[in-house]
Amino acid sequence: MPSLPGVDVVGSIFGFPVNELMAVGLLLLVAGLLARGGRRLGLPTIPFFMAAGILLGPSTPGPSVLDDPADLELLAAFGLVLLLFNLGVEFPLEQVRASGSRLLGAAVAYIGLNVSGGIGLGLLLGWGTAEALVIGGALGISSSAIVTKLLIELRRLTNAETPLILGIIVVEDLFLALYLSLLSPVLGDAASALELVTDIAVSFAFLLLLVVVARFGGRAVAALLGSREQELLTILALGLVLLVAGTSEELGVSDAIGALMIGLVVSRSSVRERVEQVTIPLRDAFAALFFVAFGLSIDVGALGAVVVPALLAVCLTFVLNITAGVVAARMYGLNQRAAANIGLTLLGRGEFSLILATLALGAGLDERVGPLVALYVLILAVVSPLAAANARYLARYLPDVLFSGSFQYVREETTSATCSHLDMIRTETPNTDQGCEECLVEGTTWVHLRLCTTCGHVGCCDDSERKHATDHAWADEHPIVASLEPGERWRWCYLDEHLLPDDAARGRGAPEGV
Amino acid sequence: MGQHVKVQELPGIGTRYDLAAGRVPQHVSVVVHKDGHREIYAFESSTEEPTSVIELTADQARLLGAVLSGSYVVD
Repeated sequence: MPSLPGVDVVGSIFGFPVNELMAVGLLLLVAGLLARGGRRLGLPTIPFFMAAGILLGPSTPGPSVLDDPADLELLAAFGLVLLLFNLGVEFPLEQVRASGSRLLGAAVAYIGLNVSGGIGLGLLLGWGTAEALVIGGALGISSSAIVTKLLIELRRLTNAETPLILGIIVVEDLFLALYLSLLSPVLGDAASALELVTDIAVSFAFLLLLVVVARFGGRAVAALLGSREQELLTILALGLVLLVAGTSEELGVSDAIGALMIGLVVSRSSVRERVEQVTIPLRDAFAALFFVAFGLSIDVGALGAVVVPALLAVCLTFVLNITAGVVAARMYGLNQRAAANIGLTLLGRGEFSLILATLALGAGLDERVGPLVALYVLILAVVSPLAAANARYLARYLPDVLFSGSFQYVREETTSATCSHLDMIRTETPNTDQGCEECLVEGTTWVHLRLCTTCGHVGCCDDSERKHATDHAWADEHPIVASLEPGERWRWCYLDEHLLPDDAARGRGAPEGV
Repeated sequence: MGQHVKVQELPGIGTRYDLAAGRVPQHVSVVVHKDGHREIYAFESSTEEPTSVIELTADQARLLGAVLSGSYVVD
């Protein structure tokens, strides 16, 4: 029988020979089935794709369907390129620009803490500076795919902190592009410091060039790709992406950045939506192969040596995420519950960590980086969805002093709903500075004071004996009270049973002069 | 909210619309995903979790919209 190309025997399963097509088929099938099992438990897919590669790879006992992981290199490279291309295509540039400096501040806090912490841990491990930079990125950047899916599954799309979380991962995507531009020259073979600086300059210049193309070249790209036929659009888009990615690699900028930037160019053109549509299935298939190939390259024997660093990395990520969650919540006037949600939802690590590890291995850095990142991603894959789902328990232990509004009474309340009575906020001025109006008459005492935001009535809180603020709210149907305690800025709507963060109430409060 | 619909962009996911429904504090939020499918978050109280979340395909959403707006006619 004549032998077709692509059917060379590359591995075996229980003594039976496995050819190339069978190998790719088996890997995809097992990866898909494992991931499906994981999805039933609410776990992310990417780590299962990687696990399939590890299990069917040469280093574990049992079947080895692909003895030489390098055989999958080209397909895996397609996956990496398409992942970053789609990231660029889907990048919500306008929204980032519109979201303002506060989001940027929160995102910079998150990224700064996590990446610098990761670099610190990398340096501490003593594997080398380039290795530390890779570890910093791998530990520092959340997986957009995992975080987004998690928010949908946990039914948190309407929570007050959700736009902030989504904003942070968008800025993280942007940061990834900059970080890759910095990293690829470092990973290159620059002989001297001068050469390194030149390489970095070339890298950023290329980035800048593509930004300019993205700004003004949308029409040209649309003309190049634009075809009414889906078949031709797919082919032209794929060709363009691979060519730009490969050319970038030759210019000493990584193929990853090239792919990301051409994605950004396409995202500014009129063919964006159609390109997105046709390349998403391609991305899903090839990206899975990329994750599988990464798993194949992991030597299970080497995992043992990185258990301690991986556990350290996981702990570090937890601490820094919670810290960043508190910082972000503080900036946005959100409470403990939101802070816990932010920190624990952003824990997921996936595609970006594996991309950075792949680049490191490709550049011949310390081989332990691969197993370390693999183990780290695997542990977080299991731990992070659990942590995010149970964030409310953490909220109890976050001290009030960390939060701008001092949410003593409402620290564990979600801010999921929006209040429908903001039009009832008509004043910020208390009728009296003497204390609770009724208590002053009755001669009773109070614990804390509440201001009725509709009429300026001052009453005592629900911890006080007489609970005059609550009585007033129900009696006069004035739904929203504000805390009058020094340093506290929260408001509470009795009808909606809803906590209003400071800024939500302020932006749409009473018209001036009322 | 009140008479208004509050609109919020969810980067990477889609758009969220909040509106009052039924008696206070009941309300619904609709999330329109980029791929066209919709989720309806229904809140019966302002407790932490939505009472239910219903997922609709783009077609189902269109049909429901027609029924709700009274423009669906059985022939």
